[in-house]
Amino acid sequence: MRISKKLSVFFAGVIVAFSVLAVTLIMQLRTQARQYDALLNSPIHQMEEARVVQVDFKKQVQEWKDTLLRGHNSDDLANYTKKFHDMESQVHTEAEALQEQVTDPEARQLLEKFVNAHTTLRQKYAEAYKAYLEGNADFKAADRIMRGADRAPTDLFDAVVARLNTVTKESVAQQRQATSKGSKVAIATAGGLLFLVGFFGFLIVRDILARLGRLKQVSDRLAKADVSGLVVDMQGSDEIAEFGKSMRGVHAAIEELLIAASAQSKAQAAGKGQL
Amino acid sequence: MAAQLVNFYERIGQAHGALGRMKLAMLTNVSSAQAKNAADSQENIQKFEKALAQVLSELKG
Repeated sequence: MRISKKLSVFFAGVIVAFSVLAVTLIMQLRTQARQYDALLNSPIHQMEEARVVQVDFKKQVQEWKDTLLRGHNSDDLANYTKKFHDMESQVHTEAEALQEQVTDPEARQLLEKFVNAHTTLRQKYAEAYKAYLEGNADFKAADRIMRGADRAPTDLFDAVVARLNTVTKESVAQQRQATSKGSKVAIATAGGLLFLVGFFGFLIVRDILARLGRLKQVSDRLAKADVSGLVVDMQGSDEIAEFGKSMRGVHAAIEELLIAASAQSKAQAAGKGQL
Repeated sequence: MAAQLVNFYERIGQAHGALGRMKLAMLTNVSSAQAKNAADSQENIQKFEKALAQVLSELKG
């Protein structure tokens, strides 16, 4: 193969190799971005939602206590009762929505238990509220009904948050592992391609330099008219082989000149001898 | 010994001397000394005939 073609093929190979590398890295980057998006949109988002429900449930309990504590005033009773019912509905809706989103079976099961417990709690709150009103703001009677009733749902939701926290940590760890693996693949791909490009480049350059070196040796001997035993052997069909072929012509011409010069010298010597 | 190839050198030598021989060697890549050891192959003979014609044409003027 001609050197110009060899170098063109090598150059094209380098471009293809680096294009493949660039495409691989871009694809890997996009995959990682998608995975991070999925992580943010799923476990981390669910975790945030769960914390919101957790806080809202504590607010609901707080509103209940405010109702009992300040319900002796009719305005406060209306105000805190409304706030309590609003928060109660909000917690229930949020918990059900979260239950739909969550894919982890254990967290889903815990959420289901919480929703059921919250429904039961609703009925108990209604019963206690009735007792409170009938007792003319008798918070002791209402508190007796509700005492410890919110403990179980609170614990259940704490368990939901803990489970989702674990799921999030596991997902982050998996993502980190996938990123690390992707980085290793990228490094191996880049390293492999660079090695291949370097290896083939080295072979081509070494071949060209070796042939040029042999040609230079021939050229040096021709420059000294040292053609005795000189063989110009350049195989192949590239530019160096063509140059070698030209050198063979120069070699033959110099040899012919030396033969002619030698014959002329002998003739002159013979002429002098006769004189 | 390649008698026919050597004969080409003798012909060009008689016609144009050392210059002709040198040009023939340049075109064929084979000196007269090398011609003695080369084969009288069809390929070599054709190459020499072509080169001889070219040298004669160049040195004619």
